[in-house]
Amino acid sequence: MNKLFGWERFFENIPKILPYLSVTLWIVVYATVFGVILAAFIVLAELKKIPVLNPFLKVYVSFMRGTPMLVQLMIIYYGIPALIDPVFGTNLNRGWSAVTFAYITFILNQGAFLSAIFYGAVTSIPYGQTEAGLSVGLTEFQTFRRILLPQMVRIALPPFGSDLVGLFQNSSLVFLIGVTDIMGRAKSIGAATKHVLEAYVFVVMIYIVISLTVRLLFYYLNIKLEYGRERT
Amino acid sequence: MNFNAAHFYESFLYGIRYFPNTLRLVFIPLAIGLALGTVIALARVYQVPVINKLLGIFVTVYQGVPIVVALMIYNLIFMLKFNDLAKLLHIKKSAAEVDHIWVGIFALSLTAICSISEAIRGALLSIDKGQDEAGYSIGLTKVQTIKRIIIPQMIPAAIPTLINHVVGLIKASSVVMAIGIVEIVAGATIPSSRTYSFFEGYVAAAVIYWAFTIVIECLAKVLRRHTGKFRRNPYD
Repeated sequence: MNKLFGWERFFENIPKILPYLSVTLWIVVYATVFGVILAAFIVLAELKKIPVLNPFLKVYVSFMRGTPMLVQLMIIYYGIPALIDPVFGTNLNRGWSAVTFAYITFILNQGAFLSAIFYGAVTSIPYGQTEAGLSVGLTEFQTFRRILLPQMVRIALPPFGSDLVGLFQNSSLVFLIGVTDIMGRAKSIGAATKHVLEAYVFVVMIYIVISLTVRLLFYYLNIKLEYGRERT
Repeated sequence: MNFNAAHFYESFLYGIRYFPNTLRLVFIPLAIGLALGTVIALARVYQVPVINKLLGIFVTVYQGVPIVVALMIYNLIFMLKFNDLAKLLHIKKSAAEVDHIWVGIFALSLTAICSISEAIRGALLSIDKGQDEAGYSIGLTKVQTIKRIIIPQMIPAAIPTLINHVVGLIKASSVVMAIGIVEIVAGATIPSSRTYSFFEGYVAAAVIYWAFTIVIECLAKVLRRHTGKFRRNPYD
């Protein structure tokens, strides 16, 4: 090993790593889209106080918030096959690719975190507004869509943004269950060439760019959604 | 394969055995983060020239780096360069002899400094500027104003976010197993390499973490009530 960091190696690595960014992006897209749907269901169940389901969801959310992402990833990766294989006689660790387990974990995790954000946003709007909506003859759904939702989005947006930044960072853990994302690719380049620092530095740059972009995007969205309110 | 209670119990005991390592990985970075984070936050809020901008850029950029990637880089540099550094400083130790946990503590400390400084900065900004002016007008110096007026008010305002960061730190400490430090997760899965029951191992680790974070959150509630006493906020 001669030099610790070489620029020529750094630039060689770029085309090798960049295609794997799509793995990271897909995890984030799935986790966000299905996470939002799951979170909406959880919040609905909590607001309607559905018996049995409600305490169960409380435990689920607390578990997802109280344990590390890494451990959740591993539990899903080893747990789903352990639960399903004896029943159906399948071998899911071979049947499904590792990225499927990553999707499931991130969706479940995001569902819990987003539900907490949404629940906070809904309950921050005074109940009098719902009553007012109902009293002028709107249906429950209309009240929600026209009165609660627009206010809710504005409240939920900043925490949603920082959650998204965290989601991108957490997605770097999937290489630990053998999914080749940009991090996993950087590692395999290192194993092949014995020079891994350049690859890692490039990965860091990608994450920094993503994080700054997401923050900037949410910063402008936030301003857009002020609805003519005076900014302080 | 069914859930084996005996394996779970064994994994649980192994996980608990390495609990002190996790404590070190959480509380040393937390102490460093609180100390340096407060300094950074004060420097940024009171706009110390030049440093203020540099720290702002550093904190913003560093928060975009996933901890596991940072950890891998520090570990790599540590392994490659430690022997040279030791020779330079005449320390008779090789990289193999130094406990890897310090690399983990270093990585977590940097993360903690950034996130805690942001939390404290937010709390500082929430305090009205008139309070500073009031302090100056009765003849206190800047340092006295910060020490006696601003910081006591900042603490209760910062605690909720700080607790979130402590819980985040507890959870982040699990990734150090990627560079071979044995803490709760790696410890709990030690028996799994013999029994091949990884599921039980990870569930045991999850239970320990879960209990730990719940305890921290309960302590936080007590702390919050205690430090917020003087506010006399009926809603607290």
